[in-house]
Amino acid sequence: MGLITETLPAVIEKFPGGSLIVTSMDYAINCSRANSLWPLTFGTKCCAIEMLMATGAAHQDLSRFGAEVARASVRQADLMVIAGAIVKKMAPRMRMLYEQMAEPRYVIATGACAVSGGPFMYNSYSIVRGADEVIPVDVYVPGCPPRPEAFFWGLLALQKMIKEGESVRRPGIRRKPVMAALPNGMTAADVRAEIQRELEQDNVIDVEKEAESKPWAAKVKEWIRKSSSIS
Amino acid sequence: MTVTIRTLNELLQPSHLPAHPLATQEYFVNMGPQHPISHGSLRLVLRLDGETVKEVIPVPGFVHRGVEKMCESLTPRQIVPYTDRLDYLSAFMNNWAITRVVETAAGIESNERIETIRTLMSELQRIQSHALWWGVTGMDLGAFTAFLYGFREREVISEIFEETVGARLTMNYIQPGGVMYDIHPNFVKRVKDVMAYMKPIIDEYDTLLSGNVILQERCRNIGILSPEKAIALGCTGPVLRASGVPYDLRKMENYGVYNKVDFNVVVGAVGDCWDRYYVRMQEMRESIRIVEQLIDSIPEGPTMTLRYNLPIEMPEGTYYSQVETARGVFGAFLVAEGKSEKPYPLHFRSPNYNNLWSVTALAPGWRVADIIAILSSLDLVIPDIDR
Repeated sequence: MGLITETLPAVIEKFPGGSLIVTSMDYAINCSRANSLWPLTFGTKCCAIEMLMATGAAHQDLSRFGAEVARASVRQADLMVIAGAIVKKMAPRMRMLYEQMAEPRYVIATGACAVSGGPFMYNSYSIVRGADEVIPVDVYVPGCPPRPEAFFWGLLALQKMIKEGESVRRPGIRRKPVMAALPNGMTAADVRAEIQRELEQDNVIDVEKEAESKPWAAKVKEWIRKSSSIS
Repeated sequence: MTVTIRTLNELLQPSHLPAHPLATQEYFVNMGPQHPISHGSLRLVLRLDGETVKEVIPVPGFVHRGVEKMCESLTPRQIVPYTDRLDYLSAFMNNWAITRVVETAAGIESNERIETIRTLMSELQRIQSHALWWGVTGMDLGAFTAFLYGFREREVISEIFEETVGARLTMNYIQPGGVMYDIHPNFVKRVKDVMAYMKPIIDEYDTLLSGNVILQERCRNIGILSPEKAIALGCTGPVLRASGVPYDLRKMENYGVYNKVDFNVVVGAVGDCWDRYYVRMQEMRESIRIVEQLIDSIPEGPTMTLRYNLPIEMPEGTYYSQVETARGVFGAFLVAEGKSEKPYPLHFRSPNYNNLWSVTALAPGWRVADIIAILSSLDLVIPDIDR
């Protein structure tokens, strides 16, 4: 939402008639990139129902993370969610789709099939054992299929990864991929609380607290006290 | 009878050269494998004249994992989870198909309670699957709101499954000899609540989308499938019934406890996209009726009649069993050698494969935009086609 929080590494320069924010280019670019990921509607198997369709609907709401604009065209997308098994016939097509995406592009491999071949790893003659044999993957989300909450966990991991990266000096350098598995014993309620915390941390400003820290806060309080005593 | 096999390259040659320099030339357009309508990876090669479709050549196989070959090295209990991953929107029914064939082969008895639970779960999933299909069809035809409504109901039914089964999509619940777990104590109350909630919802669906002029225009009299053609192509499920053929395995085969409940087989009159749409809407209502009749009288008894650590011995022979999934007849053909538990070979007869090829009969003569409505009304699940 682009609201200013205390964690913003920026200086606010004031001048008559307005103010100016001075921040680092990396921060501004990364923040924009992380919060406006446009996924590609690329689903091959069961995970597509959970990852792309159920999360896009109202119950689990992908748009809270700015990632709900699912695009059917690769040229407009910058996040590829590999939802499902990749077989040898599909692998060249997937590579082609990946290469058509504009930089910077990110890949989340969801589900056991896309991570390692999953249940089809043994005895299958046509499966590609993990999507990372074909294209570089940023975040792995294990599960068969992962819950939508687990997918959000992976998306948050990707957003953190993007925010920490350097986009100006070393634009092409990829960070190491991460395995964004839900920690052991974590329930759906815990995930919801965590997501809530993440969202609030970035997007909510305590207006009253903010106002009290201002130099004119004492004057306003005085004015409110006076006006209430008159009435 | 001779069968000529033509490769895709041969099919893609233009059938005739234009006679006149100003005549239009036929050309080919690829639809897929990356296409929003395919809901997976399916490639359709369209031979077009202007915008009119002359021919459709489906090219499946982008999700072919070789499940049937894999199953030759697995025991029956190990095969069950793989059937989840074929038609993942009818996971319970797929489980049931392989379970039925194994139970027939090994002579395993099941009891009334097991059969009732299996029937209940299957019907709940039929409602869920059709609700999802309704939402996605709305999205395909340009009404995104329908998608949100369809998934709202899917979540409600998913929560029932999650409570009892522990999974939302890949169930692995119906096993040879019974079901994996007993139903959750909350199950009966929850299902009743959801059914009371679902009844007006189907009417809401009708209010929201069915009467819409755009939907009617795009579906009525588009892609008419005659009953003869539907039978010849091997179509099953709502696609066949929309053409006016009252073929429903729930009535024909008497598996589960379907012979105890009162429900209608919904048939269409014309066989166009609209009939296929409305047959599914009515099937949701019929499924709600079935669930409501069964939910009050789940008999007592064990939910598993077989010990887990014992191998399932199947005498030598060939066995076939089929069930009615949300998309049609799903059959499992199994050859037992008698020496081991493992089948050799195992073949799945999937409804989507036959329903897909009906597009070759449906599409010619229509416009490209009508292909979207036709494919949407067939309700294809691609991994079930490719296996």
